[in-house]
Amino acid sequence: MTITLKVNDLAVSAEVAPRTHLADFLREDLLLTGTHIGCEHGVCGACTVLLDGEPVRSCITLAATCAGRDVKSIEGLERDPVMAALREAFSAEHALQCGYCTPGMLVTARDIVLRLPDADEDRIRLELAGNLCRCTGYNGIVRAIRRVLSHRPEVTAPSLPPVTRGTFRQFSLDDAAAPPAAQISAKFTGDGLHETLSIALPPEQVWVALRDPALIASCLPGATITSRDGDRIRGEMLTSLGPIQARFKGDATLTYDDMARTGRIAGSGRDTASGTRMQAEATFRLVGNGPAASTVEIDLTYALKGPLAQLGRGPIVRVFAAELAAMVARNLEARLRGEETPGAGAALHAGGLISHVAWRWLRDLLSRFHVR
Amino acid sequence: MKPAVFSLEQPVSVAQLMQSGEGRIVAGGQSLGPMLNFRVAQPSHVISIAQIREFSLVEETEDAVIIGACVTHAAIADGRVPDIGKGILPAIAQGIAYRAVRNRGTIGGSLCHADPAADWLCTMTALGAAVLTLRPDGGRTIPLTTFVLGPFRNALQPGEIVQAVRVPKASPEARWGYYKACRKPGEFAHAMAAVFLDPARDIHRAVIGAVGGAPIVLEGSDVRIESAERALLQSGLDEIGRIMQLAALRRAMEQAA
Repeated sequence: MTITLKVNDLAVSAEVAPRTHLADFLREDLLLTGTHIGCEHGVCGACTVLLDGEPVRSCITLAATCAGRDVKSIEGLERDPVMAALREAFSAEHALQCGYCTPGMLVTARDIVLRLPDADEDRIRLELAGNLCRCTGYNGIVRAIRRVLSHRPEVTAPSLPPVTRGTFRQFSLDDAAAPPAAQISAKFTGDGLHETLSIALPPEQVWVALRDPALIASCLPGATITSRDGDRIRGEMLTSLGPIQARFKGDATLTYDDMARTGRIAGSGRDTASGTRMQAEATFRLVGNGPAASTVEIDLTYALKGPLAQLGRGPIVRVFAAELAAMVARNLEARLRGEETPGAGAALHAGGLISHVAWRWLRDLLSRFHVR
Repeated sequence: MKPAVFSLEQPVSVAQLMQSGEGRIVAGGQSLGPMLNFRVAQPSHVISIAQIREFSLVEETEDAVIIGACVTHAAIADGRVPDIGKGILPAIAQGIAYRAVRNRGTIGGSLCHADPAADWLCTMTALGAAVLTLRPDGGRTIPLTTFVLGPFRNALQPGEIVQAVRVPKASPEARWGYYKACRKPGEFAHAMAAVFLDPARDIHRAVIGAVGGAPIVLEGSDVRIESAERALLQSGLDEIGRIMQLAALRRAMEQAA
């Protein structure tokens, strides 16, 4: 798509792909390499530029959404009086060493000087929290900003207009409950979870089923076995949680102890799109409770490494795993009773499923705690 | 990393939006952006709603402030949006991520993204806020307690979008507290709790965020540590995480005392 915008006071018209972010557009298309890319996910601040006068992360701003707007990169601030004072102060206070973070630091520092003329050292440090520097330990940077704040050039911060008033169309209240689904039953352990599954069938019958990897896989929505060689299984699993999607491909080893009616499955997989790696191990134990009742005790541990682990933080992954476990338990039970399994074979829409589970849990919680 | 290929649509009005095809909605892009770059999200079509003027408005009524979905955290932090009283909204907005993120990130986007550690998710639930949605045949008002279904999941149906969030005004005698534990300011919180006590409106509520699923809501006489302790057992948090949450709740309760 073609966009027209202002970059460093010059009108620019260019062809950009929708997925190109502003930092790449500045660096690769306009050769404005003063904008640095560090983490490329909005954490390090190296790519900070001005968009309509306000600092933004150019690595998580799509260039195509900047049409008609005013972009200023570090190159465009050469004659800016505050930036001139900051450059001098950064030099005098040894506020840089390798210089990688410096363009972003300067843009943020300029914002601090203009927006917070009374900022003390604590406030400066707080405002700098979004710009990482691995060389200086920040002391020189903070001193430089304080120096400029104490001899501030004669400039006033552009005042931002109030948000425009208007009216919204309002519709009737809908606080109806989401459809009920399975509830988390797992207990969270130190590094995984423990699930107990009660099945109203004889243990002999349940053990036969547990010995069938294809059947177990069919109870895990989104999972497919692609090949099997003895106790080694190759397969993949498709999951989604809100906007997050992952397709883990990998292999696992299955071992059984028929005498003790215990088993263990251990495997690892990789989502090629994001490079996330997953390792998981489950041990299970079948106990008979009379002629027509069985209990399966499952202990699951897992480890996620890579982008998904970063975005899906510990507690989220744990709840996700617990909901998966609840799903498998429910499907396995249905399978063993000869019923259709609702989600089997279909791609796992764990989001939907999970949300129902989490919803039910929340509702139960509310009913328990709603006292007023 | 760079995002995978997608097509992009940028409607400038609600009418245009309603003509759009199916796609992943993005407002400020401060949460979806990193997911796209990491390629953990690979939508084939993206619809940017940041240009829709109707979503960037604010309305003040006698008992509430209605904030357009695309109003930024920075606008709220700066007081460019009317407050609900007690300086609550600017105080919360000021603590979200970093200024450069607050300049782009939006209140509607944050609520729809439903990251359990999001400041608005926890605090808006405590304040009794509701989202106003639009869909081709009308819309709905959905309280946050039923809007958020779980991590990154909301109750929106296909073709439905959040146009604004309605936040009830606080009574003059209302008390509130909000505490979050981050290793570094602006990072995802490891623990967060909001307490809102407004006896004139019969509200005694505590909300614990940054858990594995939807926020934990404690009402009435359950606004106490023992109830939170019990509720946290199913939150996906380990013991240290639960202890941190209880500390956050204690501090929020002290602020509101």
